[in-house]
Amino acid sequence: MLPKRVFQFFIIYFLFIGGLMIMKYSLHLSDYVIPAPSDMLHTMVAEYRQYSLATINTMTVAIIGQVLSVIMAFVIGIIGRQSTWLGSFIKVAAYNIQAYPIVALAPILFILLGDGFITRLLIAAMICYFPVLLSVLGIMSKPIDDIEHFYRVTGRMRWQLEVKIRTFENLTQLTTVIAGSATLAMAGTIVGEFIAANAGIGYSIRIALYQSDLGKILIALFLIGITIAVYQALLELLGVAIKRTWTGK
Amino acid sequence: MPLICDNVAFTYPAAEHPILTNVSFNLSTPGFHSFFGPSGVGKTSLAKILTGDIAEYSGKVVTDGLKHLLYSHNKERLPGWSNVDRHLSRVIPQSMLAEKDRLVDVFGVSDCTKARFDQLSMGQQNRVNLIRYLLQDCDVLIMDESMANVDELTREKIILAIKDMFPRRYFIYISHNAMEVAKFCDSILVFRNSGKAQQTVMIQGCNMGRDDNISTKALDATLLEIMNAS
Repeated sequence: MLPKRVFQFFIIYFLFIGGLMIMKYSLHLSDYVIPAPSDMLHTMVAEYRQYSLATINTMTVAIIGQVLSVIMAFVIGIIGRQSTWLGSFIKVAAYNIQAYPIVALAPILFILLGDGFITRLLIAAMICYFPVLLSVLGIMSKPIDDIEHFYRVTGRMRWQLEVKIRTFENLTQLTTVIAGSATLAMAGTIVGEFIAANAGIGYSIRIALYQSDLGKILIALFLIGITIAVYQALLELLGVAIKRTWTGK
Repeated sequence: MPLICDNVAFTYPAAEHPILTNVSFNLSTPGFHSFFGPSGVGKTSLAKILTGDIAEYSGKVVTDGLKHLLYSHNKERLPGWSNVDRHLSRVIPQSMLAEKDRLVDVFGVSDCTKARFDQLSMGQQNRVNLIRYLLQDCDVLIMDESMANVDELTREKIILAIKDMFPRRYFIYISHNAMEVAKFCDSILVFRNSGKAQQTVMIQGCNMGRDDNISTKALDATLLEIMNAS
Protein backbone atom coordinates (compact mmCIF):
# COMPACT_ATOMS: atom_id res chain seq x y z
CA MET A 1 0.00 0.00 0.00
CA LEU A 2 2.76 2.45 1.04
CA PRO A 3 5.12 1.89 -1.93
CA LYS A 4 2.12 1.95 -4.30
CA ARG A 5 0.96 5.34 -3.00
CA VAL A 6 4.49 6.82 -3.18
CA PHE A 7 5.00 5.37 -6.65
CA GLN A 8 1.68 6.85 -7.82
CA PHE A 9 2.74 10.24 -6.47
CA PHE A 10 6.12 10.05 -8.25
CA ILE A 11 4.38 9.30 -11.57
CA ILE A 12 1.98 12.25 -11.21
CA TYR A 13 4.65 14.65 -9.98
CA PHE A 14 7.18 13.86 -12.69
CA LEU A 15 4.49 13.93 -15.38
CA PHE A 16 3.65 17.42 -14.16
CA ILE A 17 7.33 18.48 -14.20
CA GLY A 18 7.65 16.91 -17.65
CA GLY A 19 4.67 18.96 -18.83
CA LEU A 20 6.26 22.14 -17.47
CA MET A 21 9.53 21.35 -19.25
CA ILE A 22 7.75 20.69 -22.54
CA MET A 23 6.01 24.06 -22.14
CA LYS A 24 9.28 25.79 -21.21
CA TYR A 25 11.28 24.49 -24.17
CA SER A 26 8.51 24.59 -26.75
CA LEU A 27 7.53 28.17 -25.89
CA HIS A 28 11.14 29.23 -25.21
CA LEU A 29 10.27 30.48 -21.73
CA SER A 30 13.10 31.96 -19.68
CA ASP A 31 14.56 30.34 -16.53
CA TYR A 32 12.96 33.14 -14.60
CA VAL A 33 9.44 31.84 -15.48
CA ILE A 34 10.18 28.10 -15.38
CA PRO A 35 13.60 27.17 -14.03
CA ALA A 36 15.75 24.62 -15.82
CA PRO A 37 16.09 21.13 -14.27
CA SER A 38 19.62 21.93 -13.09
CA ASP A 39 18.36 25.08 -11.31
CA MET A 40 15.59 23.06 -9.68
CA LEU A 41 18.10 20.52 -8.44
CA HIS A 42 20.26 23.35 -7.10
CA THR A 43 17.23 24.87 -5.31
CA MET A 44 16.35 21.48 -3.87
CA VAL A 45 19.81 20.96 -2.40
CA ALA A 46 19.79 24.47 -0.97
CA GLU A 47 16.28 24.48 0.48
CA TYR A 48 15.73 20.80 1.22
CA ARG A 49 16.38 20.99 4.97
CA GLN A 50 14.37 24.14 5.65
CA TYR A 51 11.44 23.04 3.48
CA SER A 52 11.39 19.56 5.03
CA LEU A 53 11.17 21.04 8.52
CA ALA A 54 8.41 23.40 7.34
CA THR A 55 6.50 20.47 5.81
CA ILE A 56 6.83 18.46 9.02
CA ASN A 57 5.58 21.49 10.93
CA THR A 58 2.54 21.74 8.64
CA MET A 59 1.94 18.01 8.78
CA THR A 60 1.99 18.06 12.58
CA VAL A 61 -0.66 20.78 12.66
CA ALA A 62 -2.71 18.91 10.03
CA ILE A 63 -2.55 15.62 11.98
CA ILE A 64 -3.57 17.25 15.27
CA GLY A 65 -6.35 19.15 13.43
CA GLN A 66 -7.54 15.95 11.76
CA VAL A 67 -7.58 13.98 15.01
CA LEU A 68 -9.56 16.76 16.70
CA SER A 69 -12.02 17.01 13.84
CA VAL A 70 -12.54 13.22 13.67
CA ILE A 71 -13.21 13.09 17.43
CA MET A 72 -15.58 16.05 17.17
CA ALA A 73 -17.32 14.59 14.11
CA PHE A 74 -17.92 11.31 15.96
CA VAL A 75 -19.27 13.03 19.07
CA ILE A 76 -21.62 15.28 17.09
CA GLY A 77 -22.46 12.49 14.62
CA ILE A 78 -23.43 10.14 17.45
CA ILE A 79 -25.62 12.79 19.07
CA GLY A 80 -27.05 13.83 15.71
CA ARG A 81 -27.95 10.27 14.66
CA GLN A 82 -31.11 10.31 16.77
CA SER A 83 -34.42 11.23 15.21
CA THR A 84 -35.04 13.74 18.00
CA TRP A 85 -35.34 17.53 17.68
CA LEU A 86 -31.65 17.90 18.62
CA GLY A 87 -30.62 15.23 16.10
CA SER A 88 -32.53 16.89 13.28
CA PHE A 89 -31.18 20.30 14.26
CA ILE A 90 -27.58 19.03 14.20
CA LYS A 91 -28.09 17.42 10.79
CA VAL A 92 -29.64 20.53 9.21
CA ALA A 93 -27.01 22.80 10.80
CA ALA A 94 -24.17 20.57 9.59
CA TYR A 95 -25.49 20.53 6.02
CA ASN A 96 -25.91 24.31 6.00
CA ILE A 97 -22.62 25.24 7.65
CA GLN A 98 -20.55 22.90 5.47
CA ALA A 99 -21.76 24.76 2.40
CA TYR A 100 -19.97 27.88 3.66
CA PRO A 101 -16.32 28.14 2.54
CA ILE A 102 -14.21 27.84 5.70
CA VAL A 103 -11.28 29.55 3.96
CA ALA A 104 -13.41 32.70 3.83
CA LEU A 105 -13.51 32.63 7.63
CA ALA A 106 -9.74 32.27 7.92
CA PRO A 107 -8.99 36.03 7.92
CA ILE A 108 -11.39 36.49 10.84
CA LEU A 109 -9.52 33.82 12.81
CA PHE A 110 -6.17 35.43 12.03
CA ILE A 111 -7.50 38.83 13.15
CA LEU A 112 -8.95 37.43 16.36
CA LEU A 113 -6.30 34.85 17.29
CA GLY A 114 -3.15 36.05 15.57
CA ASP A 115 -0.97 34.11 13.12
CA GLY A 116 0.23 31.34 15.43
CA PHE A 117 -0.31 27.64 15.94
CA ILE A 118 -3.93 27.78 17.22
CA THR A 119 -5.23 29.60 14.16
CA ARG A 120 -3.61 27.12 11.77
CA LEU A 121 -4.94 24.24 13.85
CA LEU A 122 -8.47 25.64 13.85
CA ILE A 123 -8.51 26.13 10.08
CA ALA A 124 -7.16 22.61 9.49
CA ALA A 125 -9.73 21.11 11.86
CA MET A 126 -12.64 23.10 10.41
CA ILE A 127 -11.81 22.23 6.82
CA CYS A 128 -11.73 18.48 7.37
CA TYR A 129 -14.43 18.44 10.07
CA PHE A 130 -17.57 18.87 7.96
CA PRO A 131 -16.97 16.16 5.33
CA VAL A 132 -16.16 13.70 8.12
CA LEU A 133 -19.20 14.85 10.13
CA LEU A 134 -21.56 14.39 7.18
CA SER A 135 -20.25 10.87 6.59
CA VAL A 136 -20.48 9.95 10.28
CA LEU A 137 -23.99 11.43 10.49
CA GLY A 138 -25.06 9.46 7.42
CA ILE A 139 -23.62 6.22 8.77
CA MET A 140 -24.88 6.64 12.32
CA SER A 141 -28.40 7.65 11.27
CA LYS A 142 -28.93 4.55 9.15
CA PRO A 143 -30.18 1.56 11.14
CA ILE A 144 -28.75 -1.89 10.41
CA ASP A 145 -32.16 -3.52 10.85
CA ASP A 146 -31.16 -7.13 10.31
CA ILE A 147 -28.74 -6.92 13.25
CA GLU A 148 -30.40 -4.34 15.47
CA HIS A 149 -33.89 -5.93 15.40
CA PHE A 150 -33.01 -8.59 17.98
CA TYR A 151 -31.49 -6.11 20.43
CA ARG A 152 -34.46 -3.76 20.10
CA VAL A 153 -37.21 -6.33 20.60
CA THR A 154 -35.43 -7.93 23.55
CA GLY A 155 -34.78 -4.55 25.19
CA ARG A 156 -30.99 -4.91 24.99
CA MET A 157 -30.26 -1.99 22.73
CA ARG A 158 -28.05 0.70 24.26
CA TRP A 159 -26.63 3.67 22.40
CA GLN A 160 -23.10 2.25 22.75
CA LEU A 161 -24.18 -1.01 21.10
CA GLU A 162 -26.01 0.86 18.35
CA VAL A 163 -22.90 2.93 17.58
CA LYS A 164 -20.72 -0.20 17.71
CA ILE A 165 -22.96 -2.07 15.24
CA ARG A 166 -23.15 0.83 12.79
CA THR A 167 -19.41 1.52 13.03
CA PHE A 168 -18.58 -2.16 12.50
CA GLU A 169 -20.89 -2.50 9.52
CA ASN A 170 -19.46 0.64 7.85
CA LEU A 171 -15.83 0.22 8.83
CA THR A 172 -14.49 0.34 5.26
CA GLN A 173 -16.42 3.51 4.48
CA LEU A 174 -15.31 5.17 7.71
CA THR A 175 -11.63 4.35 7.25
CA THR A 176 -11.79 5.63 3.66
CA VAL A 177 -13.38 8.89 4.81
CA ILE A 178 -10.83 9.36 7.58
CA ALA A 179 -7.90 8.61 5.26
CA GLY A 180 -9.38 11.01 2.69
CA SER A 181 -9.81 13.74 5.27
CA ALA A 182 -6.03 13.78 5.78
CA THR A 183 -5.68 15.57 2.44
CA LEU A 184 -8.30 18.10 3.50
CA ALA A 185 -6.55 18.76 6.81
CA MET A 186 -3.23 19.27 5.02
CA ALA A 187 -4.85 21.52 2.41
CA GLY A 188 -6.57 23.52 5.16
CA THR A 189 -3.34 24.04 7.07
CA ILE A 190 -1.42 25.08 3.95
CA VAL A 191 -4.15 27.53 2.91
CA GLY A 192 -4.18 28.97 6.44
CA GLU A 193 -0.40 29.35 6.39
CA PHE A 194 -0.53 30.84 2.93
CA ILE A 195 -3.02 33.49 4.04
CA ALA A 196 -1.32 34.79 7.15
CA ALA A 197 0.66 32.37 9.33
CA ASN A 198 4.32 32.73 10.27
CA ALA A 199 5.42 29.11 9.88
CA GLY A 200 4.87 25.97 7.85
CA ILE A 201 5.22 25.05 4.20
CA GLY A 202 2.28 27.30 3.19
CA TYR A 203 4.21 30.25 4.62
CA SER A 204 7.32 29.15 2.67
CA ILE A 205 5.23 28.98 -0.53
CA ARG A 206 3.98 32.52 0.14
CA ILE A 207 7.58 33.76 0.48
CA ALA A 208 8.53 31.89 -2.73
CA LEU A 209 5.58 33.47 -4.51
CA TYR A 210 6.72 36.95 -3.48
CA GLN A 211 10.18 36.05 -4.86
CA SER A 212 8.52 34.60 -8.03
CA ASP A 213 10.66 31.49 -7.49
CA LEU A 214 8.84 28.60 -9.19
CA GLY A 215 11.69 26.23 -8.32
CA LYS A 216 11.03 26.65 -4.59
CA ILE A 217 7.29 26.20 -5.10
CA LEU A 218 7.87 22.97 -7.04
CA ILE A 219 10.17 21.66 -4.29
CA ALA A 220 7.49 22.54 -1.72
CA LEU A 221 4.88 20.71 -3.82
CA PHE A 222 7.10 17.66 -3.98
CA LEU A 223 7.56 17.55 -0.22
CA ILE A 224 3.84 18.18 0.44
CA GLY A 225 2.83 15.45 -2.01
CA ILE A 226 5.21 12.85 -0.68
CA THR A 227 4.25 13.59 2.94
CA ILE A 228 0.52 13.30 2.24
CA ALA A 229 1.05 10.09 0.24
CA VAL A 230 2.96 8.50 3.12
CA TYR A 231 0.49 9.72 5.76
CA GLN A 232 -2.54 8.51 3.79
CA ALA A 233 -0.94 5.14 3.18
CA LEU A 234 -0.19 4.83 6.91
CA LEU A 235 -3.83 5.69 7.72
CA GLU A 236 -5.03 3.09 5.23
CA LEU A 237 -2.70 0.50 6.75
CA LEU A 238 -4.05 1.38 10.19
CA GLY A 239 -7.61 0.97 8.85
CA VAL A 240 -6.76 -2.45 7.41
CA ALA A 241 -5.15 -3.51 10.70
CA ILE A 242 -8.20 -2.38 12.72
CA LYS A 243 -10.52 -4.16 10.28
CA ARG A 244 -8.49 -7.35 10.41
CA THR A 245 -8.43 -7.37 14.20
CA TRP A 246 -12.13 -6.58 14.55
CA THR A 247 -13.61 -8.69 11.77
CA GLY A 248 -11.07 -11.50 11.82
CA LYS A 249 -10.65 -11.21 8.02
CA MET B 1 -54.06 -16.12 28.24
CA PRO B 2 -55.51 -16.37 24.74
CA LEU B 3 -54.14 -14.59 21.71
CA ILE B 4 -57.07 -13.04 19.88
CA CYS B 5 -57.36 -11.10 16.65
CA ASP B 6 -60.73 -9.59 15.91
CA ASN B 7 -61.51 -8.09 12.50
CA VAL B 8 -58.01 -6.81 11.93
CA ALA B 9 -57.55 -4.80 8.76
CA PHE B 10 -54.50 -2.96 7.53
CA THR B 11 -53.39 -1.03 4.45
CA TYR B 12 -49.80 0.07 3.89
CA PRO B 13 -49.61 3.88 3.52
CA ALA B 14 -48.68 3.91 -0.17
CA ALA B 15 -50.78 0.88 -1.17
CA GLU B 16 -54.07 0.97 -3.09
CA HIS B 17 -55.56 -2.16 -1.56
CA PRO B 18 -55.54 -3.43 2.02
CA ILE B 19 -53.10 -6.22 2.78
CA LEU B 20 -55.33 -7.53 5.58
CA THR B 21 -59.12 -7.49 5.60
CA ASN B 22 -61.14 -8.54 8.62
CA VAL B 23 -58.75 -11.18 9.86
CA SER B 24 -59.99 -12.92 12.99
CA PHE B 25 -58.65 -15.86 14.97
CA ASN B 26 -58.34 -17.09 18.49
CA LEU B 27 -55.38 -19.09 19.77
CA SER B 28 -56.62 -20.28 23.14
CA THR B 29 -53.77 -22.57 24.16
CA PRO B 30 -49.99 -22.33 23.92
CA GLY B 31 -48.29 -24.58 21.40
CA PHE B 32 -47.13 -24.69 17.83
CA HIS B 33 -49.39 -22.71 15.50
CA SER B 34 -48.87 -21.55 11.98
CA PHE B 35 -49.58 -18.84 9.43
CA PHE B 36 -49.61 -20.51 6.05
CA GLY B 37 -50.11 -19.09 2.58
CA PRO B 38 -48.45 -17.76 -0.55
CA SER B 39 -45.98 -14.87 -0.48
CA GLY B 40 -47.35 -11.36 -0.19
CA VAL B 41 -50.72 -12.22 1.36
CA GLY B 42 -50.05 -10.52 4.71
CA LYS B 43 -48.55 -13.17 7.02
CA THR B 44 -45.61 -11.01 8.04
CA SER B 45 -47.79 -7.91 8.31
CA LEU B 46 -50.12 -9.73 10.70
CA ALA B 47 -47.13 -10.96 12.70
CA LYS B 48 -45.87 -7.39 13.02
CA ILE B 49 -49.32 -6.23 14.13
CA LEU B 50 -49.29 -8.88 16.86
CA THR B 51 -45.89 -7.78 18.16
CA GLY B 52 -46.80 -4.09 17.97
CA ASP B 53 -44.35 -3.22 15.18
CA ILE B 54 -47.30 -2.05 13.08
CA ALA B 55 -49.69 0.15 15.02
CA GLU B 56 -51.94 1.81 12.43
CA TYR B 57 -54.39 -1.07 11.93
CA SER B 58 -58.09 -1.32 12.62
CA GLY B 59 -59.76 -4.06 14.63
CA LYS B 60 -58.68 -5.53 17.91
CA VAL B 61 -55.69 -7.58 19.05
CA VAL B 62 -55.93 -9.07 22.54
CA THR B 63 -52.68 -10.22 24.12
CA ASP B 64 -53.71 -9.81 27.78
CA GLY B 65 -51.45 -11.72 30.13
CA LEU B 66 -48.86 -12.38 27.42
CA LYS B 67 -45.75 -10.51 28.55
CA HIS B 68 -43.40 -10.43 25.63
CA LEU B 69 -44.19 -11.13 22.00
CA LEU B 70 -41.11 -11.54 19.83
CA TYR B 71 -40.85 -11.61 16.06
CA SER B 72 -37.87 -13.28 14.41
CA HIS B 73 -37.15 -13.71 10.73
CA ASN B 74 -34.65 -15.45 8.51
CA LYS B 75 -32.82 -12.34 7.30
CA GLU B 76 -31.40 -11.49 10.69
CA ARG B 77 -27.69 -11.44 11.40
CA LEU B 78 -25.49 -11.53 14.47
CA PRO B 79 -22.76 -8.88 14.72
CA GLY B 80 -19.49 -10.07 13.22
CA TRP B 81 -17.01 -8.91 15.85
CA SER B 82 -16.94 -12.12 17.86
CA ASN B 83 -17.84 -15.76 17.53
CA VAL B 84 -21.32 -17.27 17.75
CA ASP B 85 -20.80 -18.87 21.17
CA ARG B 86 -19.70 -15.58 22.72
CA HIS B 87 -22.71 -13.78 21.26
CA LEU B 88 -25.12 -16.40 22.49
CA SER B 89 -23.64 -16.34 25.99
CA ARG B 90 -24.00 -12.58 26.14
CA VAL B 91 -27.64 -12.38 25.06
CA ILE B 92 -29.08 -15.42 26.81
CA PRO B 93 -30.37 -14.79 30.36
CA GLN B 94 -28.47 -16.60 33.14
CA SER B 95 -31.55 -18.67 33.98
CA MET B 96 -31.60 -20.13 30.45
CA LEU B 97 -27.88 -20.67 29.89
CA ALA B 98 -28.16 -24.36 30.79
CA GLU B 99 -30.54 -24.93 27.89
CA LYS B 100 -28.17 -23.29 25.42
CA ASP B 101 -25.90 -26.32 25.09
CA ARG B 102 -28.86 -28.64 24.63
CA LEU B 103 -30.32 -26.49 21.87
CA VAL B 104 -26.94 -26.05 20.18
CA ASP B 105 -26.67 -29.83 20.11
CA VAL B 106 -30.24 -30.51 18.92
CA PHE B 107 -29.98 -27.80 16.27
CA GLY B 108 -26.80 -29.40 14.92
CA VAL B 109 -24.64 -26.31 15.23
CA SER B 110 -22.18 -27.46 17.91
CA ASP B 111 -19.36 -27.63 15.36
CA CYS B 112 -19.68 -24.03 14.32
CA THR B 113 -20.14 -22.06 17.54
CA LYS B 114 -16.51 -20.99 17.53
CA ALA B 115 -16.93 -19.46 14.08
CA ARG B 116 -18.15 -15.97 13.32
CA PHE B 117 -21.68 -15.60 12.01
CA ASP B 118 -20.71 -14.69 8.45
CA GLN B 119 -18.61 -17.85 8.20
CA LEU B 120 -21.70 -20.05 8.65
CA SER B 121 -23.95 -21.45 5.94
CA MET B 122 -27.40 -19.88 5.61
CA GLY B 123 -29.05 -22.83 7.32
CA GLN B 124 -26.60 -22.62 10.23
CA GLN B 125 -27.15 -18.87 10.48
CA ASN B 126 -30.91 -19.32 10.73
CA ARG B 127 -30.56 -22.00 13.40
CA VAL B 128 -28.18 -19.88 15.49
CA ASN B 129 -30.54 -16.92 15.21
CA LEU B 130 -33.47 -19.09 16.31
CA ILE B 131 -31.55 -20.37 19.35
CA ARG B 132 -31.02 -16.87 20.72
CA TYR B 133 -34.72 -16.07 20.29
CA LEU B 134 -35.87 -19.30 21.89
CA LEU B 135 -33.77 -18.59 24.95
CA GLN B 136 -35.40 -15.23 25.66
CA ASP B 137 -38.00 -14.62 28.28
CA CYS B 138 -41.10 -14.41 26.08
CA ASP B 139 -44.63 -15.81 25.89
CA VAL B 140 -45.08 -15.65 22.13
CA LEU B 141 -42.42 -16.25 19.52
CA ILE B 142 -43.22 -15.67 15.88
CA MET B 143 -40.83 -17.51 13.59
CA ASP B 144 -41.02 -16.03 10.11
CA GLU B 145 -39.42 -18.66 7.88
CA SER B 146 -36.86 -19.02 10.64
CA MET B 147 -35.83 -22.45 9.44
CA ALA B 148 -35.32 -21.61 5.80
CA ASN B 149 -32.34 -23.40 4.24
CA VAL B 150 -32.40 -26.09 6.95
CA ASP B 151 -32.81 -29.68 5.78
CA GLU B 152 -36.11 -31.44 6.45
CA LEU B 153 -34.84 -33.97 8.98
CA THR B 154 -33.14 -31.33 11.12
CA ARG B 155 -36.23 -29.12 10.91
CA GLU B 156 -38.37 -31.97 12.25
CA LYS B 157 -35.89 -32.58 15.05
CA ILE B 158 -35.87 -28.88 15.93
CA ILE B 159 -39.66 -28.52 15.94
CA LEU B 160 -40.08 -31.56 18.18
CA ALA B 161 -37.39 -30.27 20.56
CA ILE B 162 -39.04 -26.84 20.70
CA LYS B 163 -42.40 -28.41 21.52
CA ASP B 164 -40.78 -30.49 24.27
CA MET B 165 -38.75 -27.73 25.84
CA PHE B 166 -41.24 -24.86 25.74
CA PRO B 167 -44.71 -26.34 26.27
CA ARG B 168 -46.11 -23.15 27.80
CA ARG B 169 -45.13 -20.83 25.03
CA TYR B 170 -47.07 -19.77 21.94
CA PHE B 171 -45.20 -20.30 18.70
CA ILE B 172 -46.44 -18.93 15.42
CA TYR B 173 -44.53 -20.58 12.63
CA ILE B 174 -44.73 -18.81 9.29
CA SER B 175 -43.90 -21.33 6.60
CA HIS B 176 -44.60 -22.30 3.01
CA ASN B 177 -44.24 -25.99 3.71
CA ALA B 178 -47.78 -27.43 3.80
CA MET B 179 -46.66 -30.89 4.92
CA GLU B 180 -44.69 -29.50 7.84
CA VAL B 181 -47.41 -27.23 9.18
CA ALA B 182 -50.05 -29.94 8.71
CA LYS B 183 -47.96 -32.43 10.65
CA PHE B 184 -46.61 -30.36 13.55
CA CYS B 185 -48.96 -27.44 14.09
CA ASP B 186 -51.91 -27.32 16.42
CA SER B 187 -53.82 -24.72 14.44
CA ILE B 188 -53.07 -23.31 11.01
CA LEU B 189 -54.28 -19.92 9.87
CA VAL B 190 -54.43 -20.32 6.10
CA PHE B 191 -54.16 -17.09 4.12
CA ARG B 192 -56.17 -17.39 0.95
CA ASN B 193 -55.41 -15.99 -2.47
CA SER B 194 -56.92 -12.56 -3.08
CA GLY B 195 -60.44 -12.44 -4.46
CA LYS B 196 -61.97 -14.76 -1.91
CA ALA B 197 -64.58 -13.39 0.48
CA GLN B 198 -62.86 -14.46 3.68
CA GLN B 199 -59.13 -13.75 3.74
CA THR B 200 -58.16 -16.39 6.28
CA VAL B 201 -59.43 -19.78 7.41
CA MET B 202 -58.39 -21.53 10.62
CA ILE B 203 -57.67 -25.25 10.26
CA GLN B 204 -56.84 -27.82 12.91
CA GLY B 205 -53.44 -29.43 12.36
CA CYS B 206 -52.20 -32.87 13.45
CA ASN B 207 -50.02 -31.35 16.21
CA MET B 208 -47.61 -34.26 16.28
CA GLY B 209 -45.34 -34.53 19.32
CA ARG B 210 -42.20 -36.58 19.96
CA ASP B 211 -44.00 -39.76 21.01
CA ASP B 212 -47.02 -39.40 18.75
CA ASN B 213 -47.81 -41.39 15.68
CA ILE B 214 -50.17 -39.89 13.20
CA SER B 215 -51.96 -41.84 10.54
CA THR B 216 -51.33 -41.05 6.92
CA LYS B 217 -55.08 -40.67 6.54
CA ALA B 218 -55.26 -37.90 9.16
CA LEU B 219 -52.30 -36.11 7.64
CA ASP B 220 -53.76 -36.36 4.14
CA ALA B 221 -57.07 -35.01 5.40
CA THR B 222 -55.37 -31.99 6.97
CA LEU B 223 -53.33 -31.39 3.85
CA LEU B 224 -56.43 -31.57 1.74
CA GLU B 225 -58.18 -29.11 4.01
CA ILE B 226 -55.26 -26.68 3.70
CA MET B 227 -55.25 -26.98 -0.08
CA ASN B 228 -58.98 -26.45 -0.29
CA ALA B 229 -58.81 -23.43 1.97
CA SER B 230 -55.98 -21.69 0.13
